[in-house]
Amino acid sequence: MTERNYSTVNPCIMCQPIGSVIAFKGIEDSMVLLHGSQGCSTYMRLHLAHHFQEPVDIGSSSLSEKGAVYGGSENLKKGLKNLILRYNPKVIGVSTTCLAETIGDDIGSIIADFREEEDLADEIMIIPVPTPSYEDSHNSGYIKAVEAIVKQFTIHESGNEIFNNKLNVVLSENISPEDTRELKKILSDTLGSNSFILLPDISETFDAPMTGKLQKIFPGGTTHSDIADMKNSAATIGLGITNNNKAVSYLDKTFEIPSHNLPLPIGLEYTDRLLTELSGIAGTDIHEDYQKERGRLIDAMVDAHKYVYGTKVAIYGDPNNVLGILSLALENGMHPLLVVASSKSPRFAEYAMERVRQVKPDCDVTVLEDVDFDAFNDAVKKAKPEMLIGNSNGKYISKDIGIPLVRIGFPIHDRVGAQRMLAIGYRGAMEMLDRITNTILEAQEEKLAAKWSEPESYVPLGEDSFHSAEA
Amino acid sequence: MPDITSVISTLDERQPYIALKQAKKSSELACDNTSIAGSMSQRACVYSGARVALNPVTDAIHLVHGPIGCASYTWDIRGSLSSDKETFRTSFSTDMKELDVVFGGEKKLSKSIEELAKLYNPPVIFVYSTCIVGIIGDDLLAVCKEASEKVGIPVLPVQSEEFKGTKSDGYKAACNALMQLIGTKEPEITSEYRINILGDYNVAGDVWLVKPLFEKMGIQVITSMTGDATADSISKAHGAQLNLVQCSGSMTYLAKWMDKEYGIPFRKVSYFGIEDIAIALKTVAEFFDSEEMKKIAEGIIEQETKRIMPEIETIRNKLRGKTAAIYMGGAAKALTLIKGFRELGMEVVIIGTQTGKRDDYRQISYQVKDGTVIVDDANPLELADLIVKQKADLMVAGVKERFLAYKLGVAFCDFNHDRVIEFEGYDGFLNFARELDSSISSPVWKVYGSKLKPAVDASIRTKNDSGLKPQHKTKPEEMKKERDNMHDVNATALQESVA
Repeated sequence: MTERNYSTVNPCIMCQPIGSVIAFKGIEDSMVLLHGSQGCSTYMRLHLAHHFQEPVDIGSSSLSEKGAVYGGSENLKKGLKNLILRYNPKVIGVSTTCLAETIGDDIGSIIADFREEEDLADEIMIIPVPTPSYEDSHNSGYIKAVEAIVKQFTIHESGNEIFNNKLNVVLSENISPEDTRELKKILSDTLGSNSFILLPDISETFDAPMTGKLQKIFPGGTTHSDIADMKNSAATIGLGITNNNKAVSYLDKTFEIPSHNLPLPIGLEYTDRLLTELSGIAGTDIHEDYQKERGRLIDAMVDAHKYVYGTKVAIYGDPNNVLGILSLALENGMHPLLVVASSKSPRFAEYAMERVRQVKPDCDVTVLEDVDFDAFNDAVKKAKPEMLIGNSNGKYISKDIGIPLVRIGFPIHDRVGAQRMLAIGYRGAMEMLDRITNTILEAQEEKLAAKWSEPESYVPLGEDSFHSAEA
Repeated sequence: MPDITSVISTLDERQPYIALKQAKKSSELACDNTSIAGSMSQRACVYSGARVALNPVTDAIHLVHGPIGCASYTWDIRGSLSSDKETFRTSFSTDMKELDVVFGGEKKLSKSIEELAKLYNPPVIFVYSTCIVGIIGDDLLAVCKEASEKVGIPVLPVQSEEFKGTKSDGYKAACNALMQLIGTKEPEITSEYRINILGDYNVAGDVWLVKPLFEKMGIQVITSMTGDATADSISKAHGAQLNLVQCSGSMTYLAKWMDKEYGIPFRKVSYFGIEDIAIALKTVAEFFDSEEMKKIAEGIIEQETKRIMPEIETIRNKLRGKTAAIYMGGAAKALTLIKGFRELGMEVVIIGTQTGKRDDYRQISYQVKDGTVIVDDANPLELADLIVKQKADLMVAGVKERFLAYKLGVAFCDFNHDRVIEFEGYDGFLNFARELDSSISSPVWKVYGSKLKPAVDASIRTKNDSGLKPQHKTKPEEMKKERDNMHDVNATALQESVA
């Protein structure tokens, strides 16, 4: 359906609070409480449980009509108290919702009152983040929460300001737990296991091993001491370039930590950029294992090049992930027709076009931002790609026009394994390339199937011959 | 004075909501209240209640008036199926932004309605209100009324501001919208016996396993609400002589209204489980007081039961003596599940709901054995504690509870939105039995919670007989000790872990 000005049909984005929840779940011993009505937390729990296939507990201040009219302070305080009683977290993120923002609760002073009234121990940290759902998207919610976390942990003079000679690595967009594990491995292999601080880290908290125990709060996440220590680091790398990584700018401005933002290391070029940067920072040569891995990726690219060359694709999802997949598609000779970011960001279009010019200047690509799936559907029907690459919500379009969908990103709620999907690093590039290539091969096979005749020996035996064979 | 034994440790304020069924003690469970802040309720909101109850109307536009999240998280969330139009699986939102919140969203809403009516040409538009709408005071009624005149189709407000009550209030908001449609068209009458199926959402195609049974009995099913319902069929619902209510939590309100408004009585039934299906068919035949119909019903019951019994028997032999935990949205499903489990030789040890009322819990209490825990508006930590304490082998619930059960090493059956297999009717019950079997009998539980242990006696001896790493910290004897300790991680570890 075209030409809509007022309604959104099949949204590409989720609201800010869910992004903040993902970020908070990436730090050690933390819980989140949404200040708003009960439904917000339940819906997000459902959405995240579907994607990560893990139990997801998110508190709610369960605002009622009374709270909405007279202010939600009582509910928020009670919510915090009960959350502490039941979960005993060391960090509580308090993200607001549209309801709380509209009634105008002063979260900061409610929390201050609560601390005083309950005589709360200093070791329990409460971090408020304003994330009204009527602004921006889940992507901005993530960035805001990461910034709030860094600020709160580094704001006090701890008397522990000792230069740690570590590298901060701060994400500005959600990546999968498997991606996070890969990223940690790359950092650990190239810099040393104790030489970096990655924030947030959902590798264990959203993909917990089955141990025979149910923990109230899953272990893992960036440790509190690490976050507090970020102000003493030698440098910061921000991962994701389409949006302003506010935590990175904050660390740079406040503590004069030199910083540089890099694209998410998806595909050959962007992974190269990260590894070169890391080697520069560490003052070392490129790690031999990665040189080999890179070689294997190039080998894989050569093996696959004839299958994927010229394949027309539409790529959609969160901006930095899309930029990475776009880069991967281009360097493998694919033909991206449509590149669509779920939310608006200051530099997505610019970087997407830059990458296109670098690799395939004659590519007639359309870049869209901040559109819904209905608008995307229109664009797909016009551009006629042969494949979609993106999250589960593209399945309707894929089914409608009969082209395959390679699932990557968030949310993936109709397949298993979203938490283990790997797109980052050379290994991620190989995995994505293999998935894309095999999808093309399968589609070809299906087309060819009509022309194939069964080989003689496979022709099903008739009933008579079956009996005679038995005899 | 409610007699509540402290079954597990939880917030003091939550204790009255958890009770142990005990002989000779009548305990009154606290229920039907708003959730306690910070208690991690599994419930959603008023809007969600309205959305789940109304969304299966297949050819309607379901327009969510609010910020984008409310539409995002409910897009095609329910596994309801349609025999025709699929409009309901598209997510429509006014996507309110800050400016709309500041200056009001009425204008955007009315423009939105006009635009969608023109583009999609639907027979009806339902407009759901969310939190914000209630706060900023958009006049939903007025906008819908005006828009309705302009676009020439019913534009019906669903007043589901999220903070005004619980999920149950959302059901009412949905029913109120349905009331506006009922009676607006004249039904085509094809049988002297006519019913409506209420409170069936056609998840995975449930209705399609039930409707033919009634049709075999010579009955015309005018509409099924809201699973596989169309605006047209709903508007003719008043042509029925009897309403059958399955999900009583959501649809009794509508049934009572139809009784008052049109004099159509209702009966509460269930199409789940061998006994309850039989009761449903017999109830209808008795209502119409037709000997022929009674005979047909008996015939169906006998034939169908006979058809599925051999496989049910086989599965029952595997499931006999296993224990089940039930945590459902509504009480009707919980109640019928008790019988269903009994028919499969299983025993219910925990039963709870999100929206049960006092009468529901009374009925549940009659149905379950002593020692069963009954819980209202439970949260994950309580459920985990209860599962361990009550030694449940299987849980039947929704998506949020699935991964909780798995982490506790407990088999699981989804009886909610995520279901892709029918559970109603005779084949549905067979599906249910197979589902239980597939989770309980899976070999994965054998490795659940296990750890790999080092070998004490390797099959290969190294040449110098001191191992490849003589500096290994743990000595073989200690390794053996450790291994013995690791054998049984399940029960004790679990109790420690959730304590």
